[in-house]
Amino acid sequence: MKYLNKSIKEINELLKQQRIKPIDLVNEAFENIENNNDLNAYITLNKEEAIKKAKELENQEVDNILFGLPIAIKDNIVTSGLRTTCASHILENFIPIYDAFVIKKIKEKNMIIIGKTNMDEFAMGSSSRTSYFGPPRNPWNKEKISGGSSGGSATTISAGDVLFALGSDTGGSIRQPASYTGIVGMKPTYGRVSRFGLVAFASSLDQIGPMTKKVEDNAILLNAIVGKDEKDLTSARVEEEDFTRLIGKEINGVKIAVPNYFMSDIVNNEIKESIKATIKILEKNGAIVDYIDIKYIENAVTLYQIIAMGEASSNLARYDGIRYGTSEENPKDIEDLYLSTRAKGFGEEVKRRIMVGSYLLSGENAKIYYNKALSIRDDMRKEFKKIFKKYDFIIGPTTTTTAYNLSDPMDDPRKSFMDDVLVIPVNMAGLPGLSMPVGFDSESMPIGMQIIANSFEEAKIYQLASLIEKELKLNLNPNGGEE
Amino acid sequence: MKEKLTEEEVLHVAKLARIKLSKEEIEKYQIELKELLNDVEKINEVENFDDDILIACWEENTELRKDKPGQMLEPKEVLENAPRHSGNYISVPVVISGGEGA
Repeated sequence: MKYLNKSIKEINELLKQQRIKPIDLVNEAFENIENNNDLNAYITLNKEEAIKKAKELENQEVDNILFGLPIAIKDNIVTSGLRTTCASHILENFIPIYDAFVIKKIKEKNMIIIGKTNMDEFAMGSSSRTSYFGPPRNPWNKEKISGGSSGGSATTISAGDVLFALGSDTGGSIRQPASYTGIVGMKPTYGRVSRFGLVAFASSLDQIGPMTKKVEDNAILLNAIVGKDEKDLTSARVEEEDFTRLIGKEINGVKIAVPNYFMSDIVNNEIKESIKATIKILEKNGAIVDYIDIKYIENAVTLYQIIAMGEASSNLARYDGIRYGTSEENPKDIEDLYLSTRAKGFGEEVKRRIMVGSYLLSGENAKIYYNKALSIRDDMRKEFKKIFKKYDFIIGPTTTTTAYNLSDPMDDPRKSFMDDVLVIPVNMAGLPGLSMPVGFDSESMPIGMQIIANSFEEAKIYQLASLIEKELKLNLNPNGGEE
Repeated sequence: MKEKLTEEEVLHVAKLARIKLSKEEIEKYQIELKELLNDVEKINEVENFDDDILIACWEENTELRKDKPGQMLEPKEVLENAPRHSGNYISVPVVISGGEGA
């Protein structure tokens, strides 16, 4: 009997009535993962602990909707006692000694961690092919990428192994793989979710968020992981709210902006057609849609390259082979320890970004590049704020193409940035953004649409997304058949 | 022929980044780093509206925590991840030697 294809309300009822136990869900999840082993979605499985936890829960009251449900965690979120590698050789044997804020939160809900998911090394990449452990495969076509960097989390959700996963998004790393694999992925407002225990890549951009198949499940998981955390200065003190509260409410009269850039020649025609068809549905439901120009949006990739590589070079200075991680065996002196450890420990993409970042922040360059980027980022954020005075949402495609082949060349260092051209502006302005499936291309690969709102308006995004989900009724099971 | 950095330029950034490079890597990065640096040059074509900068997208509702001691990490647990340690200390190779320093 399968349960993880039911709605979480049904599962919750079954648990409450004691017709199933958490261990049934855990066993089913591991069976699914075993059957989908070739997808390479996981770096580490947490089987023993998950079974132990499920048994413990048998004697506890089912006190919330997420009780006993298995969840997959991106491998850059630290989990006490459970290996956390960031898909890097340099952290291959790293066992954290504390839990990230979000892990504490999901444990409070008695969710069960099933394993740590595959990703681009240190979340640097757009196809998860920079993983030290080999790339995950797209459940819709195993010869294609799942996107990145949260490729493993997207894969396991898309394949239906589990209902919940966490990812992280610095320049699109939740939304872009969500788009490529036909799932729902939310990057919350910067500051909405504590970054304590998220291994830092670009601290002014990183944000943890939920990845699920259904819109409502996504909102429910976001409910569980938010909150002020005094261990993260940038975590915002905002009033508690229920992110599902607007789901099902009418959208008559909402104002939506579509950036002309998002529908320009850089985007495949099939994707544009799919987005246009979705816009028609929104108009039919009373939305007012305008095509507009947004200043600075075309510069977002350049800003991202400077800010993300700069911050990465500084954040990754901590991997010195001294306190933790892989270390050179017989260094001559301390300088040799740094140089050799980092030469062997980091992969190509990471080295490239650290070197460019170090250069951009060195001496006078910090002023020429980094400060200039911060200044334009400020202009860009002001521009977005201006648009949100007039509009409720900005929408458009999540990606310019659908998922491409795993075998496509990796010799262009600019490619991983260009894949994220439509998702990066959201990180630059700290806004919340969600990607959801809205159709398929002629090769039956999923097409994703992005919904962006003003800071701290995630609930409104879920309102619009749930309407689209209800209207489209897509079959999102990659193996065909019933969901 | 593709534009590229000189070998010395690549070695300079590799030193800043504390990464040892093989001969093959140096050749590869001469081209790849140049491509990325050409990209970031585009920032100078963008006119900024004013000189305000945005360090991170935080709102005004953030605050520093009170400066008081909280839960501490157990040295024994911390040392389990350290490649080399002796007693309650993490050990490192020679820091100051007769040769060229860092």
